[in-house]
Amino acid sequence: MSMSDRAPAEHAPSTGLDPILRVLALWRGRAPRLAAGAFLSLLALLAALVLMRGAGARVAALAFGGAVAGMGLLRVSGVARVVLRYVERLVTHDAMFRALADLRVWFFRRLAGGAAAGLGFRRAGDLLSRLVSDVEALDGLYLRIMVPLAGACLVLPFLVVAILPVDPLLAAIVGGLFAAGAFLLPLAAALMGRREAAILTHRLADLRIGVLDLVTGLREIRAFGAEGRMMSHARARDAALLRGQARQARLLALMGGASYLCGQAAMLAVLAAILGVGLGPIPAARGIGLLFLVLAGFESAGGLTRAGALAGGISRAAARVVAVGETDGPPVIAGTQPAPPGTDIRFEQVSFRWQADRAPVFDGLNLDIRQGTRVAILGPSGIGKSTLAALLLKVAAPGAGRITLGGQDLATLDSVSVRRRMAWLSQATHLFADTIRANLLLGRPEASEADLWTALDRAQMGDTVRALPDGLDAWLGEGGASLSGGQGRRIALARTLLSDAPILILDEPATGLDGETERAFLTTLYDVTAGRTVILIAHRLVGVEKLDRVWRLADGRAVAAAV
Amino acid sequence: MSGDKMVMRAWTRAQSRLGRRPAMPVVACGMLAGLVAVGQAWCVASILARGLAGPASARWPGAGLLLAALAGLAAVRALLMAGGDMAAARAGQQARRRLRDEVLAAILRGGPALLRRRHSAELTALAVDRIEALDGFFARWIPASVLWIAVPALIAALAAVAQPGAAAIMILCGLAVPVGQAVFGIGAAVASRNQFLAMTRLQARFLDRVRGIATIVLLNRADDEAGRLAAAADELRRRTMKILRVAFLSSASIDCAMVVALVLIVVRDGGVVQLLRHGGSPAALADAAARSLFVLLLVPEFFAPLRALALAYQDRAHAAGAASAMGDLPDAPAQAAPARDALPALAAGGVAVAFAHVTFAWDAARGPVLDDLSFAVGAGEILTLVGPSGAGKSTIIEMLLGFIVPDSGQVLVGGADLAAMAPATQSALVSWIGQKPVLFAGTLRENILFARPDADEHALRAALDAASVDRFLADLPQGLDTPIGEGGFGLSGGQAQRVAIARAYLKDAKLLLLDEPTAHLDPETEGEILASLRVLARGRTVILSSHAAGARAFAGPCLDLGLDLGQPGALAPRPVPVEEGRHVHV
Repeated sequence: MSMSDRAPAEHAPSTGLDPILRVLALWRGRAPRLAAGAFLSLLALLAALVLMRGAGARVAALAFGGAVAGMGLLRVSGVARVVLRYVERLVTHDAMFRALADLRVWFFRRLAGGAAAGLGFRRAGDLLSRLVSDVEALDGLYLRIMVPLAGACLVLPFLVVAILPVDPLLAAIVGGLFAAGAFLLPLAAALMGRREAAILTHRLADLRIGVLDLVTGLREIRAFGAEGRMMSHARARDAALLRGQARQARLLALMGGASYLCGQAAMLAVLAAILGVGLGPIPAARGIGLLFLVLAGFESAGGLTRAGALAGGISRAAARVVAVGETDGPPVIAGTQPAPPGTDIRFEQVSFRWQADRAPVFDGLNLDIRQGTRVAILGPSGIGKSTLAALLLKVAAPGAGRITLGGQDLATLDSVSVRRRMAWLSQATHLFADTIRANLLLGRPEASEADLWTALDRAQMGDTVRALPDGLDAWLGEGGASLSGGQGRRIALARTLLSDAPILILDEPATGLDGETERAFLTTLYDVTAGRTVILIAHRLVGVEKLDRVWRLADGRAVAAAV
Repeated sequence: MSGDKMVMRAWTRAQSRLGRRPAMPVVACGMLAGLVAVGQAWCVASILARGLAGPASARWPGAGLLLAALAGLAAVRALLMAGGDMAAARAGQQARRRLRDEVLAAILRGGPALLRRRHSAELTALAVDRIEALDGFFARWIPASVLWIAVPALIAALAAVAQPGAAAIMILCGLAVPVGQAVFGIGAAVASRNQFLAMTRLQARFLDRVRGIATIVLLNRADDEAGRLAAAADELRRRTMKILRVAFLSSASIDCAMVVALVLIVVRDGGVVQLLRHGGSPAALADAAARSLFVLLLVPEFFAPLRALALAYQDRAHAAGAASAMGDLPDAPAQAAPARDALPALAAGGVAVAFAHVTFAWDAARGPVLDDLSFAVGAGEILTLVGPSGAGKSTIIEMLLGFIVPDSGQVLVGGADLAAMAPATQSALVSWIGQKPVLFAGTLRENILFARPDADEHALRAALDAASVDRFLADLPQGLDTPIGEGGFGLSGGQAQRVAIARAYLKDAKLLLLDEPTAHLDPETEGEILASLRVLARGRTVILSSHAAGARAFAGPCLDLGLDLGQPGALAPRPVPVEEGRHVHV
């Protein structure tokens, strides 16, 4: 819902060419297709110009009683033009959508690269809007701007060269009008519409966020009888979007009219030259040919003005798409070395704080966790137990001191290979809208059916899943909605246990388990993790854990406690 | 399938009716522009005919006038075009506002039960993208569906005055267009629906993956997921291309028809000119040339509305696709608001609650989760529902919230049947705290005031105090005005739960429903939250669902919804005979 209409926080509203160039660089892989599309488009345009010129001349000749000879050729080139136009549109659109699909994948990878610590203040609804509408808006960059602009660059000299031998003044006038219609007006439209188009991009995102809020908050809304308020809130966002769109439509309509008038003015000039009013006179037969040519040329550039008015939105969309990787979390050095075979973990004088203005979480923390040992790290909430896991998984990097894995500095190790060594059950582990099987397989894609059941049994969830009509193929729903909180948590636990990583980090694994089940789970944990390092992060111990060492976190350090 | 088609057709028809009036100005502009186009063609043809007759006759005194008239017509046409565009945009906006309102109202009416069937991204895509895509139906298709007959008819009629034969050719070629449209348009609606499905699938997958992005990254599954996203994005491309291919084909077919018409008219006129050359005067020849050129210039104008129709055809397909998507949403009238409103009897210390022979199944295949369940709780009492996950604790809570209604039996609150209460009465009766509260975009203050936006500062302070929100307020950079991210980033689970408690305080309802409020909390925080909840519970009837031992700290009886795991009855409890002591009286 929300309530305030603050503009979404955006870093550096870069609306210049920079983001556009970055998007174009990302399309390099599709360059051959895109270029082929543009080439075909120019070919189709050329065919149209030649055809129109020929047709005009033929009509004139006909009026003089000339031979009807060229008719066959006219027919052939007419058909060629229709076919070329069809193929050209197919190829350009297909190339464009391939490039957009690539961009969506790039967006996701980029997002994943910076999101090991979660989404933070970036809203899923806003990201969705970027992936869907903003990427979609970028099709205009190629289809509406680049290709027609290339066409206009071809048409202008064609027109000038065709008219120049007939009447230089006319050539200058038509050329000038064409440049105005194809370059100046779109530029003016772009400048006038820039602000509006950029705002619209945000308004659409705002609407999407508002609607997504309304949909995810349906329970709260119903429970608090807030239907009316949420509705009027969504309505306000919708109205803001529509108002902006109305302003943009007005600009588009006016610009479209102006661009039409440019073409008409050029036509008038040619007619005046034929009549010898102010210009010319030029021979009528050639004049008619030129007239047809001018009409075709201006028609090809007609869309550019509208595209210009939308350019601001396209540029804003590009900026929003390429901004996705910019995170504001603490810098993590992405190492390059593969993780060593050993899995001894050492924290040496590690200090860490999440934000500069916050108190340090760790201050000179020392820990020594040997390969294959079972340790517990205890402490009240907020003491930094989860931060410890974040540091180990290279979600965050220590401010001072160092962490070693198998004797090597974690900072030099490749984060993917580090994460392959560790399986983490975090407090915020997410269940995906998919089957139980697919959710489990995320932990180890090659796991067999038997492995899945073993993991479920160890997480005390096997019987429940077995009782489901669809068993492993039961659909979990959004965020595991079809399960209760405790069941969902145990599925996540099973997913973690399934992993064959040599280090298991279990952050409060017993959350959501009742006392009896918790004991049963912790008892089996000892047996199922033989040979693996287990780091149990908990608030307290139940007493059935078989541990090699226990630390208690306090004052940013770890103090050894009695086992 | 045919039923589905009928729904689609009925919806499209109803929408066309609603969209016709706003489309009137667009149609009027289009008709006038058609008239102006005829005038323009006539001016150009006259000028060219003069020019062709020879330089001498070209310099006749009317030339300047004709050029001026042409300029004037061009200006009028530009105005008409701009006016039509603006009117079309207005029509589209008006329709989208209305439809979005309807869809959002339907989603709100459907309530939480809707989320069990549909992904939130799916519903959002419906309310946002689906409706944006409908713009063309109202702005383009409806006017085009009138203009494609009216304007060509007008032009053909005027062309017939000059050259009946050429007009006949135009009409014949023009008639081929609707036939082509019908052929190419077959399956356009299905293609549109498929495309939208692909788009929805992509959105749902992405939203889901983004919400759990940390999980994906830490499991090293980012590459797999990117691959799957690529497949979904590629599917969207193929579906979109399918729609576009139809659109391009039909516009190519119109181009063909137009070229054929042009060629035929030129060939025919060539014959006429030949005849005239052998025995006609120069004046007759010039007149024939003017007529011929006039008709030729009209050919593109004749086909322009047909082309607009072809372009708008995909808009119509979108509308047909939207119809089936919207058909799934709950209908507007009827059961939403019961005519009568049963009023519950409220006591000072709470409200009495009773279940009488309630049976409910989420899914017939899994069997009933509540089977002939009866129990009663007195005003101001606390009932704890216990039992393993999935035994039906949440189901009971959702029933009391009015999210779901019993398949059979009655839920009585304050002696009145919950199903007979108006929604406003129902929602005023209960406060609810679930496992994880949804925190909306906005500040902390706005999120707490969500429960009662008109609460004054004093009431807000009291709620903050009672829920111990003030304990962490000092840690937030902007205090109460700190923005809270989606899913409550910036607040820990315990802090988010305190927001929920503050909301419940502000709402001050007599019945407090607690659905595993501490399921996601560590034991220490759980203890603190429970202490706050105990304060909140004073003077209210409380129904608490919990599996955690700590929650039994609440005094009062327990209703055990024990689950026999050995039975293939799934997540459902065994049948609950009332005689077996499951009938709890408090």
